[in-house]
Amino acid sequence: MTAPSLSPEDFQPLQSSVSGQQLSRPSLSYWADAWRRLKENPRAMASLGLIAFLLAFVSIGPYLWQVDPSAQDLDQIGIGPGADRSVTLAAPFQPWLPEQQATTLDDNMLGFTLAMPATTQAVRLVWTMENGTRYRLYRNLFDPSDTGSFGLPLAELDRSYFEDRLDLQAGTYYYSLVMLNADGSETTSTVTKDIQVTRVISAAEALQRGLIESEDDAQLGMALELAWHPLGTDYLGRDMLARLMYGGQVSLFIGLFAPLAFVLLGVIYGSVAGFLGGATDQAMMRFADFVVALPFLLFMILFKVIFGIGPGESGIWPMLVAMIILLWPAPARLVRGQILQIREEGYVSASRLLGGTTTYVVGRHMLPNTLGVILVTITFQVPSAIFTEAFLSFIGMGVAPPTPSWGAMCNEGIKSMLTRPHELMFPALLISITVLAFNLLGDGLRDALDARMRGAE
Amino acid sequence: MSEPLLQVENLHVDFQTYGGVVQAVRGVSFDVFAGQTLAIVGESGCGKSVTVQSLMGLIPMPPGRIHQGSARLRGQDILASKMIAGQDIRGSQISMIFQDPMTSLNPTMNVGSQIAETLEVHRGYSKSEAFARAIELLDMSKIPEAAKRAKQYPFEFSGGMLQRAMIAMAIACEPAILVADEPTTALDVTIQAQILDLLGDLQKETGMAIILITHDLGVVARMADEVMVMYAGEVVEKGSVDDIFYRSGHPYTQGLRQAMPTNNKSTEAEQTLVAIDGSPPDLFNPPRGCAYHPRCPYAMQVCAQQAPPTSILGPTHQTQCWLHHDMAGALPDGLVSGNEAGR
Amino acid sequence: MLKYFAKRIVLGLVTIWFIASATFFGMHAVPGDPLAGDKAMTAQIRANLEAKYGLDQPLGTQYLIYLGNIVQGDFGISYTQENRRVNDIIREHFPISATLGILAIVFAGLGGVLWGALTALYRNRWPDVVIMFLVILGISVPSFVVAAISQWSLVGANLAAGTTILPIGGWGTVWHMLVPALVLGLSTMAYLTRLMRSSMLEVVSTDYIRTAKAKGLPATQIFSRHQLRNAILPVVTVLGPAIAGITTGGFVVEIVFAIPGLGRYFVQAIQQLDYTVIMGTTVFYGAFLVFMVILVDLVYGLIDPRVRVEK
Ligand SMILES: Nc1ncnc2c1ncn2[C@@H]1O[C@H](COP(=O)(O)OP(=O)(O)O)[C@@H](O)[C@H]1O
Ligand SMILES: [Mg+2]
Repeated sequence: MTAPSLSPEDFQPLQSSVSGQQLSRPSLSYWADAWRRLKENPRAMASLGLIAFLLAFVSIGPYLWQVDPSAQDLDQIGIGPGADRSVTLAAPFQPWLPEQQATTLDDNMLGFTLAMPATTQAVRLVWTMENGTRYRLYRNLFDPSDTGSFGLPLAELDRSYFEDRLDLQAGTYYYSLVMLNADGSETTSTVTKDIQVTRVISAAEALQRGLIESEDDAQLGMALELAWHPLGTDYLGRDMLARLMYGGQVSLFIGLFAPLAFVLLGVIYGSVAGFLGGATDQAMMRFADFVVALPFLLFMILFKVIFGIGPGESGIWPMLVAMIILLWPAPARLVRGQILQIREEGYVSASRLLGGTTTYVVGRHMLPNTLGVILVTITFQVPSAIFTEAFLSFIGMGVAPPTPSWGAMCNEGIKSMLTRPHELMFPALLISITVLAFNLLGDGLRDALDARMRGAE
Repeated sequence: MSEPLLQVENLHVDFQTYGGVVQAVRGVSFDVFAGQTLAIVGESGCGKSVTVQSLMGLIPMPPGRIHQGSARLRGQDILASKMIAGQDIRGSQISMIFQDPMTSLNPTMNVGSQIAETLEVHRGYSKSEAFARAIELLDMSKIPEAAKRAKQYPFEFSGGMLQRAMIAMAIACEPAILVADEPTTALDVTIQAQILDLLGDLQKETGMAIILITHDLGVVARMADEVMVMYAGEVVEKGSVDDIFYRSGHPYTQGLRQAMPTNNKSTEAEQTLVAIDGSPPDLFNPPRGCAYHPRCPYAMQVCAQQAPPTSILGPTHQTQCWLHHDMAGALPDGLVSGNEAGR
Repeated sequence: MLKYFAKRIVLGLVTIWFIASATFFGMHAVPGDPLAGDKAMTAQIRANLEAKYGLDQPLGTQYLIYLGNIVQGDFGISYTQENRRVNDIIREHFPISATLGILAIVFAGLGGVLWGALTALYRNRWPDVVIMFLVILGISVPSFVVAAISQWSLVGANLAAGTTILPIGGWGTVWHMLVPALVLGLSTMAYLTRLMRSSMLEVVSTDYIRTAKAKGLPATQIFSRHQLRNAILPVVTVLGPAIAGITTGGFVVEIVFAIPGLGRYFVQAIQQLDYTVIMGTTVFYGAFLVFMVILVDLVYGLIDPRVRVEK
């Protein structure tokens, strides 16, 4: 007919129908298949990598960066990352006797000027004195003519000099001198000077910080370098990198351990309820409903208030206990639902008919089939546990200082957000990255483990 | 015979999935005549639903793609656009009912409104007119207390009742063709018969054509005028009911027939079946040659090499099988050649 | 339906009773005299208070008095805030929190439905990709960080503009509410967007949408009458938890933006260990949240016929 090249051999019976066996693609076990899917999901794999990195950061990090997270570097308080570390060796602090020292005053309205170069030891200011007049002196980090306010005064004076030694850091300060009326109100005679404060250190201090070998090495005016803080320091001069590592231990511990614990509790509760069924199940689920109805964060707060935090305690355990007590019902419901569903499936009845004991049926059939759901639940609970810790620490109800946690660091950082944003941003960034990674991993896992999708491929 | 209402030619549909390309329908052609019932039979997964859904524009695209073929309703193409003379042919010219009535209706809308909707869109009825007509249609579909039922929601209906409601919805605009994709598979056996009766009665009243998809040859025998047997996305045999039941020319049709219960007095359809060994092929890589050859008891060398030509067995009867080739030997028992069919 | 909600309300009352009891016994387990440390209190006032709240009586009696007072809506007197009544504190500050919260939930709900529907419609095309990226950000960044950053940007914007475009904190006009409400609603909106998107995608592939297409309905009608309505249902079910989240999220936003709401007051009370305020506000918040959840369920029952008829 259509094909002229046919020969009689073509019409011999086909020998074996081996090809009949190549009916379907190679079947993979559930977990191998899930793992294959997960590997094909770039976002999930990237987040898995991120999580591995974060875990390494908090566990191995402290061995690589051996800095005490509670040690205060008083020379470098609240410095940002990559701040200038240079310091000049200066003579030890010596008292100032302004009367004995003549200074050429500036030709501004009040003659307001620096008496000698400003250092972190002291800023010494002088001005012309009109008899009987009082002056008010302000110090600001920003130009007060920009911000429109002087803030709180540094001092009110009836003399012509002032020595500022209050918590000086290297950088620019705006000093404003205001002449006062007799009644104490401010006149318009105001001078603002921006003053560059250089960082100095005495030989004894340099020795103590290990910057020089012995005092004999010290030469005045010598340039030295202070300790390195790659991510800067906080408002107490503590190393941010070290604190982020130790704080991460706390945050990740709560974030991982709490979900593991309460999901496990929920799984046990839910499978017992689901397996026993009947009135017991009803009663157990009523109780779960009741616990679910309790406002979670409110109870967390209450729990913290009641149990308080004793001196020297970190407050981690009360938080964990409260989370476990309050959060088990959701996984319990989920697992119970799954168990009820699986109970009806053929293979479970078959297993029972074949004489499988209850524990055997639960352990061999029910749990493995719910494991995927449980895994996904845990993954999605990690971000909420981390958020809970951060939230509670942020309102001061979480871990107690000086224990660092990312949430607690945010709480401290937000107070100085405008001047030193890094103190808030670094812990906030780490919280966000962690939560993001677990959310993406959870999405990936759910897609990979979703049995419904296996059929639809 | 008169002009066909619907002519489908050489239809090819595939799906781009991340496991590869599924060639769900591979060159299907058939005609549908007014007042007649065409049955499409075949194991599940052989492309029956995809064939009719591609006519109805229900294939999700992507991943689906109709990459070859044509379908003409009274001579007008309906593959590229469902609009003829400014009206959507779906619901007005061709309507469809589905396998699972429990999920095929919107759970948050009452049944009457869902029927009325069709009339509002295609006939321009007002809301109240349409609803009144919906009650009549429910009544025609033998739903008791239609007025009350129309205001109820799908979850308040039983499966059989819902399928009646679906039928009412489908015939609302008196379509020329009703496509029924396994309309009774999800229902109880007793309900199945009632639904089939209802379809038969409505066909007599309205003269519409029915395309009935089923894998139950009992249903075919009862309802169909013409039968198309599909396997792995292809048509393997086409003919009248008698051609298929008494003069089948393809081993697959024979296999299906043997898998059908012989004693029809039994209502348990699953009893004493002679199953066809193996399962339908993977449509990612359909076998070379005849798709059925790996399971065919009479497979020859050529079957694994080349696709079989079409053999004309009678005026309405044709099949695709190498066994009918001149060079093939005598036909195995039970299969009928063109000459015999002619007798 | 009625019976179901009667049951829900009874259960809600039990929950509130439990919250009240837990706060009461919890606070009494804290060592120390609740009235100690208050200098401003004269012996006379103290004696009156003791009589009114039965502080000199055994714990059981105090508990009964406390419950009785709560039933009458009396939450006692603050010990640190110049002896103000807790009721007054709530009456004064809760409306502010409520205004902020309502704005935030409206914003989150509308935004979530809108963005969710949009992303589902543009699945895997750029609007979807961009919005879902922002959503993931919104879910992953803690609210106090969002609050801090937006306040910081406001400061920057005001400085750059040389005038106050929007106030950076405080309360009073609509302009004060805008940014805090946005910030407060943001994570909820992100969450609802995600939910709405997956719900929409699920609905798109349902059999009844296929039926609607087979009926030849125009796409807009399928979208509005079949798809949207069914897709919103799951979003409504999570509004209860969403309201709870916005309520507690308000604590943080009120602190950062210096808004004199009840949340900020509550946190202050906690930090100052003002026990009566803690107890009163906790019970109040608890009751509020429990009834919000019931209210949301009621609303859900009204829009889903399956619940409406069956329960
Ligand atoms: N949306 C889809 N995506 C991928 N493959 C599909 C899709 N729809 C159908 N298929 C495939 O097309 C083939 C035919 O399906 P179908 O027409 O539903 O079979 P049946 O004959 O049982 O109705 C099957 O192999 C199925 O897997
Ligand atoms: Mg089908």
